[in-house]
Amino acid sequence: MIPASFEYFAPRSLEEALQLLAHHGTEAKLLAGGHSLLPMMKLRLATPRTLIDLGRIRGLSYIREDGGRISIGAMTTHAEVESSELLRRRAPLLPETAAEIGDVQVRNRGTLGGSLAHADPAADYPAALLALDAECVLTSQKGTRTVVAKDFFVDMLTTALQAGEILTEVRFAADSPRTGSAYRKLHHPASGFAIVGVAARLTLDATGKGSAVSVGITGVAPKPYRATGVERGLLGQTLDAKRIAEASAQATRGVEPLSDLQASARYRAAMAAVFTRRALAAALGRAQKQG
Amino acid sequence: MAKVLTRVELNGVVNDVWVEVPENEPAAWPKQAELAVLGKPLPRVDGPDKVSGRAKYTHDVNLSHMLWMKFFRSPYPHARITSLDTSRAEALPGVKRVYTYENTPDISWYANRSKLFDTTLRFVGDEVAAVVAVDEHIAADALPLIDVEYEEMPYVLDAETALSPDAPAIHEGGPQDAPGARNLQGGRPSLYTRGDVEKGFAEADFVIEHTFRSPCQVHACLETHCSVAAWQGDKLTVWDSTQAVHPVRESLAQILNIPIANIRVICLYSGGGFGSKLWINKYTVLAALAARDLGRPVKVTLDREEDALAMGNRPANVMTIRAGCKRDGTLTALTLKNIGSVGAYNAGAGVGTPLREVYRCPNVSTEESNVYINADVARPHRAPGHVQGTWGLEQVLDILAEKCGLDPLDFRLRNYSDTDQVRNLPYSTKGLREAYEKGAEKFGWRDRTARQALSRGPKKRGFGLATQIWGGAGGPPGYAVVNLYSDGTAAVFSGGQDIGSATRTSMLQVAAEELGLPADKLSIVMGDTQGTPYGFVSGGSRTTPSQAPAVRMAAAEVKGQLLELAGKQMNLPAQRLSTREGYVFDTQNPSTRKPIAEVTKELQFGFGTGDRVQNMLIGKGWRGPNPADVSVNSWGAQFAEVEVDIETGEIRVLRIVAAHEAGRLVNPLTASSQIEGGVIQGLGFALFEERVLNNASGRMVNANLHDYKIPTMKDIPEIESVLIDLPDARANSVGVKGLGEPPIIPTPGAIANAVADALGVRVFETPMTPQRVLEALEKGLVLRAQPEEGRRA
Ligand SMILES: Cc1cc2nc3c(=O)[nH]c(=O)nc-3n(C[C@H](O)[C@H](O)[C@H](O)COP(=O)(O)OP(=O)(O)OC[C@H]3O[C@@H](n4cnc5c(N)ncnc54)[C@H](O)[C@@H]3O)c2cc1C
Repeated sequence: MIPASFEYFAPRSLEEALQLLAHHGTEAKLLAGGHSLLPMMKLRLATPRTLIDLGRIRGLSYIREDGGRISIGAMTTHAEVESSELLRRRAPLLPETAAEIGDVQVRNRGTLGGSLAHADPAADYPAALLALDAECVLTSQKGTRTVVAKDFFVDMLTTALQAGEILTEVRFAADSPRTGSAYRKLHHPASGFAIVGVAARLTLDATGKGSAVSVGITGVAPKPYRATGVERGLLGQTLDAKRIAEASAQATRGVEPLSDLQASARYRAAMAAVFTRRALAAALGRAQKQG
Repeated sequence: MAKVLTRVELNGVVNDVWVEVPENEPAAWPKQAELAVLGKPLPRVDGPDKVSGRAKYTHDVNLSHMLWMKFFRSPYPHARITSLDTSRAEALPGVKRVYTYENTPDISWYANRSKLFDTTLRFVGDEVAAVVAVDEHIAADALPLIDVEYEEMPYVLDAETALSPDAPAIHEGGPQDAPGARNLQGGRPSLYTRGDVEKGFAEADFVIEHTFRSPCQVHACLETHCSVAAWQGDKLTVWDSTQAVHPVRESLAQILNIPIANIRVICLYSGGGFGSKLWINKYTVLAALAARDLGRPVKVTLDREEDALAMGNRPANVMTIRAGCKRDGTLTALTLKNIGSVGAYNAGAGVGTPLREVYRCPNVSTEESNVYINADVARPHRAPGHVQGTWGLEQVLDILAEKCGLDPLDFRLRNYSDTDQVRNLPYSTKGLREAYEKGAEKFGWRDRTARQALSRGPKKRGFGLATQIWGGAGGPPGYAVVNLYSDGTAAVFSGGQDIGSATRTSMLQVAAEELGLPADKLSIVMGDTQGTPYGFVSGGSRTTPSQAPAVRMAAAEVKGQLLELAGKQMNLPAQRLSTREGYVFDTQNPSTRKPIAEVTKELQFGFGTGDRVQNMLIGKGWRGPNPADVSVNSWGAQFAEVEVDIETGEIRVLRIVAAHEAGRLVNPLTASSQIEGGVIQGLGFALFEERVLNNASGRMVNANLHDYKIPTMKDIPEIESVLIDLPDARANSVGVKGLGEPPIIPTPGAIANAVADALGVRVFETPMTPQRVLEALEKGLVLRAQPEEGRRA
């Protein structure tokens, strides 16, 4: 439970951080909230030579809306997302997801950027980002590029981030009218991580048919995924409990569920269907309330 | 003084010990006596120290020039060391020395089956070497630099496989290698029989048989095991996270071959022991050896993984229970076959006491095997054996009750036992009936069906109960000293320790009651061998019933001296005087009284004043024998309400009502805390806790608190304590019995029965994880629908 020794930098600007990152190369790790990195270091699963702390950089923590597009700075904490009035009104899926992460201490320290960059297969945010069709802004000394969520998550603990890049922002469209969303999860009994986490967002047309349906699932597979089988079963259909239950049975179609101490592959698959149904049913109820 | 042999139980093991019979022990207080301090909700005297962080735990002890020790542990479940090279580790700057079997004395361990450092390693986590360095980080850095080569040996990880004739032998050449007794500790199972079980089953209208499996549970003390050792010349001081300061001191004296009087062992505050800290550990001996060798204090703190790998556990058990009863619910026969895994060295894995003792049943037999496996050695774990045994037995009771169409509570009342059937003795007191009645009333047991309607969607409610028995008598040895000073304040020096169960507070209450002083006029010292008289381990629920009578006796001796003094001052015969609320008063004329602090003024130090020879009053007390003609037990019943999500298998415990009787109620506040702690730990056993070993490597895959889940705040239900105050005048002069372990015992059984009530199916294995619940539902083990295969015409 004792980390190996390391060098520590606390840059004051993004430029300085990018410079340090370029200089130290793969020996360096960025430090955000530390709630994934430090446990790994204590167990000596990660032994970076250098830590570059993003905590003193101003301007990486914000939540704004501009012309229907929402952007969130990478250093925004889970607690800030959870309590954002703007998000609660315009994209309630994200605060609802943030509220389900870990416990208060974790939410006070952990950051959106850290969670996404870490790409734990049981992390909550990825499900919501997929359902929101979000894009990630990656910055390096060479400039910035954007990657859509679907391509950002590459594999277990692996993302599209390249050497020298920092994830600086996440963007997505605010909810359109008659949209409902929900996040439902089966908690890991100790940490609260998602054994299964399902984020659903759906939009109804004037006749009550699903004009847009997106379902992001985390915890089940090595990387989070869009449950396209479920989405297809609902798109353009009149949505009700029965149809949702039927479509939810497709939650793990084309995926090989993980198996671990807490949940066998079989149990995970069964729970993916249950929580997909629950998330969609709640989302539908909310969309209908908007009449 | 007369000496007698008296029966003393510790963690289910009964021994006869010699004890001096105290001549002047005060008589037990009458049942109706109005007591001033005992039974009152006095807040913990050390509460403010604990919540403010002032309390110093072993982990908090840091001395100047202190060195740190870290262990290198066996990565293999069974192996022989073929070569060991510490030179790379010793070359690391900051490393002082590496200790191995090559440079430490030959100290025998595990009842002479092994040594401090053995070359044969029998479990993952077995100690191979200890590094001492100037700080903890360097010691940790040095561990991977120790080069060890091993000859791996075949291993076995579970008791059932270990018993098979072709299993690898964990110890060679003992009776346990006899045919049919492979790896069986002691070479044979332990047997018990009363009556004729075959006849009993023949008389039964219903016979059932089920096998229950409970895995190994680790203690998971919040404070991991830890020692600090420091020498001053030939005097050794050891701060140890232990439940046994005095026994640890004796062991150190023996092992190091130095006088007991040269050793001081201190453990003032404890972050949990639960039976895992009842005796000396290797790391403590090594810290003392290294500190002497290197001339500097040495600290060793185990991390969470080491604690899980090598500091004991509740053994895994496979329990097959067969039970028969008449149509009216009368039990006719009970049998138990138990196979328990003790780990690589001797330990206990019996679970049969509840089955033999709780319910009236004329025909009972138990066969229990303690089996070696290549895993860490079991240690007593809060109510050893009783937790598992009760969890199985209480489910059997419910299954039979259902067959008879009886309410589970009525079924238990039908089989209520007024005598100890194993020893053929009456009970001193038995408040179980009251616990059933008051518990059921508080819980609303009789009208629980109304609450069944609270089931919503996939969430089904269920209700269950379970009964508990525990030894709880305590017994010798236990000593205490009480001093009364010239300002009317008193200090209590008691053997034993306060391991978190508020023993300081209760002992102080006992002394205050006897002396007639308000509690705030007393202070108490426990947990430091320097300045306290001998006390045995604080475990087995023995501390209060063992120490309280000793404290009372010491206080009574002081009170006698005080009354003599007051008699002279007040011109009254001492026999006419007594004390109460800080006053000495005339029992025949209570308005004649004098503050104790005025009486003791005469003790103030001064030269040449009068004929006074004393400066303080000292009393000594010790624990006398247990009564020979009765059995002394603690009793209780718990009621659980649960909600089970039949789609996910998640169990939420909503409410536990815990009704317990442990003799005189010393303090309702601290008794309730004790009950809450027990219930929470029992909930962990029922729902979460399981040591998982990887079959391919023998390693524990969940040696951390993420993968090995223990209950935390959000899992904890509403816990309502029902405290049955039933002073037990036969047990001892204070009328107290043990309450440390009782509250963990019935919780898993009550939860299991509630889950079965909610689902209509049973989960025959702990922990009842969501996955197992769903599997049970799928298997459709619907008991109601089972063929009545056991039914006789
Ligand atoms: C007890 C506990 C319970 C938890 N429960 C949950 C849970 O239920 N659900 C859940 O989703 N998570 C959970 N977490 C994880 C938590 O959300 C972490 O905070 C989060 O995963 C990582 O964010 P961080 O800011 O702490 O990142 P850090 O730990 O500081 O960093 C994580 C990784 O991301 C890299 N990194 C950080 N920021 C950036 C960036 N801007 N650009 C590029 N790389 C970056 C770091 O170099 C590191 O490799 C839990 C953690 C703990 C300790």
